[in-house]
Amino acid sequence: MRQATQGRDLELSRRAFLAATSGMLAGAAAFGLASQAEAGQRHPKRGGTLRFATRADVSGLDLHRNTIYLVSMPLAAINQGLLDLDQKSEPVPGVAAAWEASPDLLRYTFELRHGVLFHNGREVDAEAVRWNFERMQDPKIAQPLARAALENLKATEAVDKYTVRCHLHQPSAAFPADVVYYPCALMAPDSVEQADLHPIGCGPFKFVTWDRNNLTEMVRFENYFETDTEGNSLPYLDAIIGRPKREDGVRLTALRAGEVDLLDSMAYADAAEFPKKYAGKFQTWNVPTVGTSFILFNLEKGPFTDKQVRLAAAHAIDHEAIKQAVFHGTGEIAHGFYASASPWYADGVTAWPAYDPDKAKFLLRQARAVGVDVVLQTLPTPPYMQQTAELVQAMWTEVGFKVRFNIYDEVALQQKRRERDFHADSSAASYRWDPDGWFSRYILSTAPTTKIYSGFQNERADQLIAEARRTADRKKRLELYAAIDSIVNEELPILYLQHLTLLEAGSMRLQGYHPSVSGAFSTRGGGIRTAWME
Amino acid sequence: MVMYTINRILYLIPVLFILTVAAFSLVHCLPGDVIDVLAGQEGVVDPAVRQALEHEYGLNKPLYTQYFIWLNHVLHGDFGTSQVTRRPIALEIFKRIPATLYLAIVGTIISLLIAVPLGTMAAVKRNTAVDYAAQLLSLVGISIPEFWFALLCVLFFSLYLGWLPSSEYYSPFDHLGLSIQHIILPAAALGIRQAAITTRLTRSTMLDEVQKEYVDTARSLGLPEWKVIYQYTLRNAMIPTLTISGLQLAQLLGGTVVIETIFAWPGVGRTLFEAIISRDFPVIQAGVLILGVAVVVINLLVDLMYRVLNPRVRLA
Amino acid sequence: MAKCVVSQEDTLDLDVPVSRVTLSLRRCWEVCKNAVSELCRSKTAILGALMLLVLLGLCLLTPYIARYDPIKQNYREMLQTPSAKHYFGTDRYGRDIWSRILWGGRRLLTISVLAVLVGILVGIPMGTLSGYYGKWIDAFTMRVVDAWLAFPGIVIYLMLATLVREWKLAEFWNDLALIFALGINQFPRLARLVRGTVLAEKEKEYVEACRAIGDSNLYISLREILPNCLSPVIVQATVSLGSTLLVIAALSFLGLGSPPPTPDWGSDLNLARDHMESRPHIAIFPGLAISYAVLAFNLFGDGLRDILDPRLTDR
Repeated sequence: MRQATQGRDLELSRRAFLAATSGMLAGAAAFGLASQAEAGQRHPKRGGTLRFATRADVSGLDLHRNTIYLVSMPLAAINQGLLDLDQKSEPVPGVAAAWEASPDLLRYTFELRHGVLFHNGREVDAEAVRWNFERMQDPKIAQPLARAALENLKATEAVDKYTVRCHLHQPSAAFPADVVYYPCALMAPDSVEQADLHPIGCGPFKFVTWDRNNLTEMVRFENYFETDTEGNSLPYLDAIIGRPKREDGVRLTALRAGEVDLLDSMAYADAAEFPKKYAGKFQTWNVPTVGTSFILFNLEKGPFTDKQVRLAAAHAIDHEAIKQAVFHGTGEIAHGFYASASPWYADGVTAWPAYDPDKAKFLLRQARAVGVDVVLQTLPTPPYMQQTAELVQAMWTEVGFKVRFNIYDEVALQQKRRERDFHADSSAASYRWDPDGWFSRYILSTAPTTKIYSGFQNERADQLIAEARRTADRKKRLELYAAIDSIVNEELPILYLQHLTLLEAGSMRLQGYHPSVSGAFSTRGGGIRTAWME
Repeated sequence: MVMYTINRILYLIPVLFILTVAAFSLVHCLPGDVIDVLAGQEGVVDPAVRQALEHEYGLNKPLYTQYFIWLNHVLHGDFGTSQVTRRPIALEIFKRIPATLYLAIVGTIISLLIAVPLGTMAAVKRNTAVDYAAQLLSLVGISIPEFWFALLCVLFFSLYLGWLPSSEYYSPFDHLGLSIQHIILPAAALGIRQAAITTRLTRSTMLDEVQKEYVDTARSLGLPEWKVIYQYTLRNAMIPTLTISGLQLAQLLGGTVVIETIFAWPGVGRTLFEAIISRDFPVIQAGVLILGVAVVVINLLVDLMYRVLNPRVRLA
Repeated sequence: MAKCVVSQEDTLDLDVPVSRVTLSLRRCWEVCKNAVSELCRSKTAILGALMLLVLLGLCLLTPYIARYDPIKQNYREMLQTPSAKHYFGTDRYGRDIWSRILWGGRRLLTISVLAVLVGILVGIPMGTLSGYYGKWIDAFTMRVVDAWLAFPGIVIYLMLATLVREWKLAEFWNDLALIFALGINQFPRLARLVRGTVLAEKEKEYVEACRAIGDSNLYISLREILPNCLSPVIVQATVSLGSTLLVIAALSFLGLGSPPPTPDWGSDLNLARDHMESRPHIAIFPGLAISYAVLAFNLFGDGLRDILDPRLTDR
């Protein structure tokens, strides 16, 4: 099955190459990429330095070893994956100009664009891609999200200089979504010695310096392959200066004081008032479906092994209250994993138990579990996790649970999960471009993550997940995932709470910045690539 | 004098040794290790992988072996590599030291600028309204929590009035203007509390000095009052004040974590805090050791300085 | 140290049997009367004592004057400004701030007092023995004390606090561990202080006299010398109370205090940061509470110092 492709690039001179790609993009515009039209309204200016304040920073520079989260870490600007994401967070051609899946979905063949370079001038060829994928699968080196993304990859073959063939363990329709820039960024094979000091990727910006939790400097990569409709190469910005500031208040103050030009997020309390209060002084972008927060139950140990107790806990939770108190009315209540703005939103999912504290008390009495001890745990950041957990604790205490609430840092939390030493967990997950990335990790009973999270075991769900992965037809997959989410809402290994949004804000001088539906910083024809400073 | 110095330095050695042992063992008491951190959400499930990683990080050797390996490296000037960022610790910590030093020094200067005049006035005009006001102010100053005062400063000067920025550090050698603008709030938050302590100290040392014989002698010789106070008494009183300020500076180096957190200041305190949270053992060990050594060395210097200044400045 | 003045009435008339209990009670009363009259000599001490009494009173009366449950959330009344219904307003979960401050204060003060006690219990014997026996014990102890003091203070607290959180303990043991951690950090200063005084006292005549009688060294150091060293210790203890409070508040502010929703002045301040601009009162009240408590201890400590150290009386 051939994905939509617009022409093939063979040995062409640079000029012809540019002409071909702009032809491609013009064709892409026909598929309704709104950003192109909007970017055409104001004439983009080349140049400008963007000061970008984020909530977090990377822990290290090696593109494979460290999680380079695509929203809250400035370094994401140097990343590029095999495929790009469009404004609806669907995989589209990027470094790979076209791809083809075998009918049994076990083999994917990617044809690389010619002339794409890494920041050090080396060409991105099939050999480089193969080296990258193999390194990303090395458990001693790669970070777990990258490894999980390529879990299904059995072998990568460089058929010729510009053709990569991937052989999978199991048939999967979800594979293209896994080879985008998060979490699988491509890095130059000949830069591996300096991977921790000076990372070389192939994204729109190049690395200059990094001072942890203080400053990240990047400049425009002049030989970036993407161009706008008029054939000018992207990105427009000269440089990006990343300023990580963990505290929401500090970030917002910096924006208002003019110290930075763009924020990746702000506290929900501020987000409720900011657009009105500062209309005309600052721009805002409400970026939906960033992720979903949920309560995770431990089905192996503790009171929640009993389904009735889980039902009681679910009836005790007032989702609307959480939405108001923690998120100040922003976002939407989650009935499934994907929000309504996401292309993977499925209709017809069975609802989770409605808010009914009396029923909760009744069920608890029936299960003879009144006053049972519950250990609820969470991370201290981002703040909404802790705040949600506090509200949940109060709601559960009202119906008769005795809740002990522990905040652990990352390390301790993982330990508790592995030792199954918790009963409930307030957590969140995000940026699964393909539903398989979520369900096959957190719902599938054989997945290592599921085993240390809820320990959920449901044959029907497993069957559906495997089937959905093998199915190529989009509509059919949506139906299957709706069925799986219905099972989740009935059996309650996880209780979905809220779809998170981010409110990004920036100075009026920032133009052409269009964060996509899922908040991607760097999207094809959008995001930071088409932004410029007046 | 020389003997005294040598004596003191010799005395330091066992102290430093205990410091290294303490730094190392306390750190390794923390549950979890860096492998857990790096493994992130999904954890390291495969024991073979965990073994390989432990071997790579040298975590599989017995503790005392790890300690001696570390000590050996340190004595050769190699503080090792951060287990999280995989860059040399020298990069991580030494780059942060100027920021913390800058903060501590400016804070101490601010505190001295406030405390010395105030304390002197309070001592000179003893038991008057000025004295009581100064005493009350300094008492209040040492009772207010530092971080609360910092928050209030941010609230008023940054949020409400918008006069001063509330984060970021610029080196004075790079952009002096910006640097001064950004350091005022954090240094003031730090310095006000120090000022309170130093005011009380100045006041009591001045009171001590003023009662000494030479002051009466000077007065009876017909020297003008201001000369008596400012040229002679104050100079003598400054010695203990400055020495204690020096000691406080040493203490300050480790205590700036909260201020650095509030003002997003890239200093050593915050680095240590984050290293503790991410179980980056080498960074914690190096940081604690460096800070401890700094404190001990500064104490020694201050002590020596006091001995040097004291006999010379005394007036007959 | 204010010596116990024994009045004439205490002299026993052997014909009239007076029980031992009555005698000791009367003695205590005398001591108290003396103490109070001595206290009145310093205005700061009086002010400090009064503030402490208010504090103590509020702590004891908390169950009656705190009008709401400090951990009960009420999301319909979030972020309210001070009113007749909620004296100090409500926080982001709708909890009454007045109640949270009262209950938080109880816990904080208990922990601080206990922590200082731990410091005293460890520091005094160490300092006494070190000062009295000298040589090896002294050398070793002082090295340890110096090394401890050189440690960046907050780091010890951070590490101990992180350690404490890991253990899956009931809240009581959690607090106990925290008390221990704080107390242990107090002992160096106290030990040093006591050692200095002991060194000074050691040379005095009455010690010689005791030795001549044949009292053991242990007896001399603990029963004779120690009581004379108490005055600086008392002053230091009061000041330590203040600084321990500040340390606990700072630790909770950094997120290392007790887990929510326990009312805690420091972590309440941390929570208030999100709303500092729109609802500054949430950030002001906990800070005021901390300042008040520490000020009370410092005033009292200052006053005590004025009284107990005669050299400084005319300051």
